[in-house]
Amino acid sequence: MSLGDLKKNFLGPVMAILISALVTSLILISLGESPEILWEAFTSTFFTSFGMGYTLYYTTPLILTGLSVALCFHAGLFNIGAEGQLHLGAAGIVAASFLFPQLPWYLAIPLGIVISFLSGGLWGLIAGFLKAKRGSHEVIVTILLNFIGITFVNYLILYPFKNTLVQNPETHEISKSFFLPPLSALTGYFGSEIFRTTPVNVTLFLSLIAAVSCHYFLFNTTKGYELRTLGQNPKVAKFNGIALAPNLILVFFLSGGLAGLVGVNEVMGFSHKLIEGFSPQYGFTGIAVALMARNSPLGVILAALLFGSIHNGAREIEFLSERITKEISIVMEAFLIILIAGHRYFLTTFVRIFKRGSRD
Amino acid sequence: MIELLASTLRLSTPLIFAAMGGFLCERSGVATICLEGVLLTSAWAAATVTYFSHNPYLGVLAAVMIGTLTMSLHAFLSVKAKSDQIISGVAVNLLAAGITPILTKLLFSSPTNTQTIPMAERLNSSVLIVMAFVFPFLIHFLTYRTGWGLRLLACGDGPEALKTSGISPKSFRFVALALGGAIVSFGGAYLSIAHASQFTRDMTAGRGFIALTALIFGKWRPLPAFLTCLFFGLTDALQIQLQSHPILGNSFPIQALQIFPYLVTLFVLVGFIGRATPPRAINQPEQ
Repeated sequence: MSLGDLKKNFLGPVMAILISALVTSLILISLGESPEILWEAFTSTFFTSFGMGYTLYYTTPLILTGLSVALCFHAGLFNIGAEGQLHLGAAGIVAASFLFPQLPWYLAIPLGIVISFLSGGLWGLIAGFLKAKRGSHEVIVTILLNFIGITFVNYLILYPFKNTLVQNPETHEISKSFFLPPLSALTGYFGSEIFRTTPVNVTLFLSLIAAVSCHYFLFNTTKGYELRTLGQNPKVAKFNGIALAPNLILVFFLSGGLAGLVGVNEVMGFSHKLIEGFSPQYGFTGIAVALMARNSPLGVILAALLFGSIHNGAREIEFLSERITKEISIVMEAFLIILIAGHRYFLTTFVRIFKRGSRD
Repeated sequence: MIELLASTLRLSTPLIFAAMGGFLCERSGVATICLEGVLLTSAWAAATVTYFSHNPYLGVLAAVMIGTLTMSLHAFLSVKAKSDQIISGVAVNLLAAGITPILTKLLFSSPTNTQTIPMAERLNSSVLIVMAFVFPFLIHFLTYRTGWGLRLLACGDGPEALKTSGISPKSFRFVALALGGAIVSFGGAYLSIAHASQFTRDMTAGRGFIALTALIFGKWRPLPAFLTCLFFGLTDALQIQLQSHPILGNSFPIQALQIFPYLVTLFVLVGFIGRATPPRAINQPEQ
């Protein structure tokens, strides 16, 4: 990557981060929050093992949903259905564990991963199939599928899978063989204390592998080339004999599958059961992640880390502050999306005002 | 039976306002998935202003102002800044979902709800229910019988034609979205100060999306969308009655009724029951 590339790819996002961080801090301070608390939340997010552990735990699902959205964007499609797909993925794992509770771990863990990918993927595939065969717009279809999927999973949690011993809307615990070890088990093996008592688990590695595989798939395989051509210029794709329908279905299957893997982090890695409303809108934050990363699968890792730390920082602020709630992360996210989505307009306006200012 | 009917009217009112406002926005050629966000901010404004001013009409006024402002942000982003209209909608929804609990916590020191408004200061819901039943006909007339309505349809289906006749589709969309946002806001005000007596976090509970769904089910036409809202209101009323039913309440999965609106709309979208085609120029920023 040359210096020019570096400037092109990083300058915009970095500016967007700085501006929205500034605006959010100003909002917080004008609401009467002391800057010390912001600083404390910042240092605890980035410079403590506890904060880093939680940040990475939030980063994991955001890498997956970010990839899910980015992959579709490459093919010129908008997957706003990651939220529903990840619910289906998580439910798939719980179902697999209840069907095969006796499996040894070396079969249970691959099964859980494959099932979550498949159930998320099949849910995503519906949108691709309907777009390919009936021409239905994928945005509207995935919005509808989100509601249908989440309501269906809530039904599973409240009725067939319900843990009747507790009041909370949650399922029974999955069988032990499906558990994935937390990262602290790994660091503990080497005698380190880092990440202790935090939920970050080996799914983080799975999501990193997914990001690298997506990069390889998009830029080094024929199928990836076909998808990108479809996204860049459908006419060129058509004249080159790239079939539309199978590619639409494939990309939505893969996108849904990536979102479905979020279930691995949540169910196999941390809570070991399915809880109603477990996802704090990971699917929608995935849109922000993909935008921030400009759809680069490797960039998604960095962008997810950013949004993971925003999420964790907001949690810290809520904990420390008496006035501000954790929703401040959603506000900052919205600012980031606005800045990036309209960056051309904001940049030209800025330049115009700047020029006028220097002329006067 | 009477109770079911009354409950249907009450539950479909916010959907009708949101769908009618959404109609103006979408028909002008701007994809508007942020009805949910506009409902949320306007509901918050209505509850807050009514609580402090003890006057529900001021509350409605505040709701309309804040709701219009929220929709104008969407207009600014998608028309002026030429962002992707879906992404802009997502951003507005996120902003609304984030800012309302923060402001609620700040003013009422609880992030989940505003203080309860006494019964005497609540808005009489029949006013808004009647309005909700008049609006669809008004909008039908406005769209199909006036010059402004024809220009609205042209703006969504062929903005080039509108441009040729000397009207800027951009400014036309701004007007349509501001007007649409104002209409949606009545739905928000209804939710927080007529149907309920306070604003609670995420109190819209997906109604903006159900309204959008009704608009699609009605094939982007005002009167069919209105009927669909009534129909979805009925399924919602049924679900509530079933929940409180002594025997059925525990065994019947209400989720089956909850997904019903989305499921039938999916069928329409796929083309099994007629076909829903969006306005042609939707989601294409005017150059």
